Amino acid sequence: MSDLAARLAAGRGAIVRNQAFWGVIAIAALLAINVVADPGYLSVGYNGETGRLSGNLIDILRAAAPILMIAVGMCLVVATGGIDLSVGSIMVVAGAVSMELLRGMDGSAGNAALTLAIALGIATALGAVNGFLVSVVGLQPFISTLVMMLAGRGIAKVITGGQNTTADNDSFAWLANGYVVGVPVVFLLAIAIVALVWLLVRRSALGLMLEAIGMDSRASRLAGVKRRSLQLTVYSVSGLLAGIAGVFATASVMTVDVSRTGYQLELDAILAVVIGGTSLAGGKFSIGGAVIGGLLIATLDKTVVFLGIPASATPAFKAIVIVVLCLLQSERVRSLFRHRRALRAQSQKEAVAA
Amino acid sequence: MRSTARVARAFAVAGALTLGLAACGGGDDDTSTSGGDGGGDDVVTVGFVAVGPEGGWRQANEANVQDTFTEEAGFELKYAPATNLDQRSQIDAFTSFVDEGVDVILLSATEGAGWEDSLRRAQEAEIPVILVDRGIEPDDTDLYVTRIAPDNYEVSTSVAEWAVSAFPDGANYFVLEGPAGVSVVNERNKGWDDTVGSAANLVKIGAQTANWSTEEAKSVFETVLRANNNDIQIVFAQNDEMGLGAAIAVEEAGLTPGVDVQIATIDGTKPALEALSEGRLSFVAEYNPLFGETLLEVVDKVLNGEEVEPYIIVPSETFDSPEAATAALPSRKY
Amino acid sequence: MTGAPPIVEMTGISISFPGVKALDAVDFRLFPGEVHTLMGENGAGKSTLIKALTGVYKIDEGQILVAGEERRFGGTADAQAAGIATVYQEVNLCANLSIGENVMLGHEVRGPFGINWKATHRAAAEVLATLGLEQLDLRRPLATLSLAIQQLVAISRAMVTRPKVLILDEPTSSLDANEVANLFTVIRKLRDQGVAILFVTHFLDQVYAISDRITVLRNGGFVGEYPTRELDRTTLISKMIGKDFATLRSLGSERQSHHYEPRGEPLLKAEDLGRKGSSEPTDLELHQGEVLGLAGLLGSGRTELARLLYGADRPDSGTVWLRGRKTDIHTPTAALAHRIAFSSENRRDEGIIRDLSVRENLVLAVQAKRGWFRPLSRKEQDALTRKYLTELNVRPADPERPIKFLSGGNQQKVLLGRWLATEPDLLILDEPTRGIDVGAKAEIQAAVAALAAKGVAVVFISSELEEVVRLSDRIIVMKDHRKLAELENGPHVTAETIVAVIADEGDDEEGDSE
Repeated sequence: MSDLAARLAAGRGAIVRNQAFWGVIAIAALLAINVVADPGYLSVGYNGETGRLSGNLIDILRAAAPILMIAVGMCLVVATGGIDLSVGSIMVVAGAVSMELLRGMDGSAGNAALTLAIALGIATALGAVNGFLVSVVGLQPFISTLVMMLAGRGIAKVITGGQNTTADNDSFAWLANGYVVGVPVVFLLAIAIVALVWLLVRRSALGLMLEAIGMDSRASRLAGVKRRSLQLTVYSVSGLLAGIAGVFATASVMTVDVSRTGYQLELDAILAVVIGGTSLAGGKFSIGGAVIGGLLIATLDKTVVFLGIPASATPAFKAIVIVVLCLLQSERVRSLFRHRRALRAQSQKEAVAA
Repeated sequence: MRSTARVARAFAVAGALTLGLAACGGGDDDTSTSGGDGGGDDVVTVGFVAVGPEGGWRQANEANVQDTFTEEAGFELKYAPATNLDQRSQIDAFTSFVDEGVDVILLSATEGAGWEDSLRRAQEAEIPVILVDRGIEPDDTDLYVTRIAPDNYEVSTSVAEWAVSAFPDGANYFVLEGPAGVSVVNERNKGWDDTVGSAANLVKIGAQTANWSTEEAKSVFETVLRANNNDIQIVFAQNDEMGLGAAIAVEEAGLTPGVDVQIATIDGTKPALEALSEGRLSFVAEYNPLFGETLLEVVDKVLNGEEVEPYIIVPSETFDSPEAATAALPSRKY
Repeated sequence: MTGAPPIVEMTGISISFPGVKALDAVDFRLFPGEVHTLMGENGAGKSTLIKALTGVYKIDEGQILVAGEERRFGGTADAQAAGIATVYQEVNLCANLSIGENVMLGHEVRGPFGINWKATHRAAAEVLATLGLEQLDLRRPLATLSLAIQQLVAISRAMVTRPKVLILDEPTSSLDANEVANLFTVIRKLRDQGVAILFVTHFLDQVYAISDRITVLRNGGFVGEYPTRELDRTTLISKMIGKDFATLRSLGSERQSHHYEPRGEPLLKAEDLGRKGSSEPTDLELHQGEVLGLAGLLGSGRTELARLLYGADRPDSGTVWLRGRKTDIHTPTAALAHRIAFSSENRRDEGIIRDLSVRENLVLAVQAKRGWFRPLSRKEQDALTRKYLTELNVRPADPERPIKFLSGGNQQKVLLGRWLATEPDLLILDEPTRGIDVGAKAEIQAAVAALAAKGVAVVFISSELEEVVRLSDRIIVMKDHRKLAELENGPHVTAETIVAVIADEGDDEEGDSE
């Protein structure tokens, strides 16, 4: 009996210590705030004519798709003890390549596929350059990807001649705006890709190898772990995922905005990873956590608009939510609360005894 | 095959840059012509502290300036765009122009505030500064010679007047703003509010920034429509890109732009006029970027020591119907 | 001993961790002016007892009296304020700070303008002088020093506060004989000044050289407290392991008498293998089923040579033939592919991966060898883990526990399991028994002997010459980064033989023909 209670308590402790748990709580809290503002917030409608589901939740899922991509890529890089600051810039390169190519083509599905392949190929190549600088040249990840972050936006400007470029291709736009059985394609794609990456790292030994590198690169080298090729792989995958995010972002409006597409999204990605419980020091990582982090950021962005928070106050609002979340995740702050609760309980008991 | 050529070009460019072979254009400073002042036939050196890639309007404006101050016209134009719209990089460029001793500086500031020190340095060096398009804050006219710009206040007033006359029975409106705190945003807000504020039946639902971006505008307006059960009739988008994003959001909500929601934008770029001619936008106010000729005249006057007005307004057009847009499109340069 | 009351008195101390009773009603007393050794195998509870005293762990039951007053400390800093200073087994210093800064960290001398560095360094110099380390350059960054010197710096750091109680948790595990003697001089000096010293070590010689009293723990329980003079070695070992010592003793002698004559083609042959600055060109032959000992003092180049064999460092001269074929082994990956495995002397930084579980640590090398895209199934992993945890008697035998929670000896056994799982033909073990208890040591030695019997070639490196002599078929004696002599082992070879070779400084190059 008491054994069962102890096990339950231990289980609850494990959940509370799991940082992603607080991400879920934060999402729920934001949704709750929205429901207070508008009781119909959570309702998902079905439009018989278009066969689409619609509603705020669906919007959040769509908005989350690009963030999920870069957050998952970032998560893998962070696991190896690195960081990828270039994801936002690789997004804009992929978008610029897509728009520039599609602008000169007719709107056939074949052209969309060709464009997609080229854009993602270039994004992967840029990621591989990051990987090369980190693993072979031995530059610090922060510096290598910072260089790529600055260069990437420059590359995008050269590709489009410095202009925001617009194109038409229904198949390409479908990637971001289409629906399959009522659900946005972009979210289905994002979830499928996340699942694929999860299977890749967790069903193979890739996850273990990445964690080993992130925790102790010397020991893992002596254990025969191929650090170089793994880092090259991880940064390339991060580049590819950023490319996909770039395609999602530009396809939704069929416009690439060279100074705005993907701008500062690397910060959102890092935030999503951290909220998901992966330490920036490397080692243990959680793809599921990064997904929760990404969803939280999308929810937060949408909440700010839904509540009509004045433009000048939005950064502060977002910062407060993030800070509160980080405080709740901190073991130390939680133990402080526990301590105070215990003290209060004790003083109550003493009061009763007296 | 034009398309294959494009494919090849985009690929080659990306590839070359990937390998870090980025070729830096320009930069061949001809120092032998520096010095010698006064002589009217000498090449005039013009330093242009510019904004750089920001959107179609800026592109047209800066290309126009570059095309005006050519070598044939007797100028050497030094073009210094900001990196990522960063004011810091603009101040650096400005300072180095002062140190070089150019004959005149053209300044399009990314942000209004924080220019006093730089402008005073130019004054001490007796280099005249002409503000192009963007103003400074606080607007101290002693610090520069003149500002040449289409008037944001006037342009946004014209949008507001259209809204008032198009919706005599009243309507709900939403404003898509540029980044908070930028002077253009403040001026465009003021022009709109001063006119619409007096029309009691136009109700403001809210305002949000979409950072001049189509993608963000779409995402923001999609949520705004949901939050208000689609009960919004007017969108005032402070640039064309955001207006186009709002139009996409309207379409995705199952509504018809131009019928259910009327969208008015400022700038008058080609994509916006195309959208207007298709009826997806309802009103486009030009914010005329092509004032290179006016600028050239002013520079000549200033260098000859003539007096100029502290604020020279560039006239702008408005387009309020698909027909007007269709008529204007063939001659549209940007 | 003397009539003075104990400065520390712990009675009935119990601590439980989830699933384990780490300490069970343990008593411990420490008197001023004595050196008291805490003995026991790994996992016996020595470190836990120390952490209970300093308040790192909260005790569930029992009483701690310090200078006659009941105390519960909140952690090392709290204990230090009460005059109890601790030097832990693993060096916990800042590698990028200088010696002086490390010694005085947190105790900098402050003047009106912030830290007075001159006075701070002067104070550091005084402390170092009491330890006989005045020759050290205070401004040298710690990272440039050997592990041994770093350990001495850590002890100096503890002495800054002039504690009444000094706890030394295996301070000698990485020191050579000279440095140990130096340290003991200091310890005796402190003892004579009335400092109470709690000393944890695995070296029996040191116990008898320095300590006045011994407390023995086994499996978290209290075995007894004895004056050192009244406890002979055999009895002490039996008390620690709870087994008859004779069974352990027989292992080594058996191996030495059944000397193995290498036959046929060598498994590995190296000519002029070397690397500038770390290893002079060396010739080497290794046969299947033999144990080759590398003997020499700390810094003699034995580790460097081992690293070249494994490709952990890239050789820049020489040729290696493996099974008769000329082979380049320039990376650990290549070495593993050629069935060579290497266990580093630096268990903490180059061996275990602290935050991974025992299972993950154990399968890592096999998995790396197979490549990440050919994962071992969970079933295979569990089978491998179970096999080696049982074979090597790892305690606790919990595959999912993070390896950092295991004692040093058990970590070492898991690492041995990691390399054995790769099924190597050549296994290089650099100090596999350093800092671990007698029981675990015997088990590892037994495992090495068993491997050789199965036909694996083993390179065995140890600072303990007796151990090298007991296990090896052949011994290469090294000094100053080069091979001094090669000895065929046999009943006539003892630790003294090797010491003589080193002392003779290479007059005896043909030592193997004697």
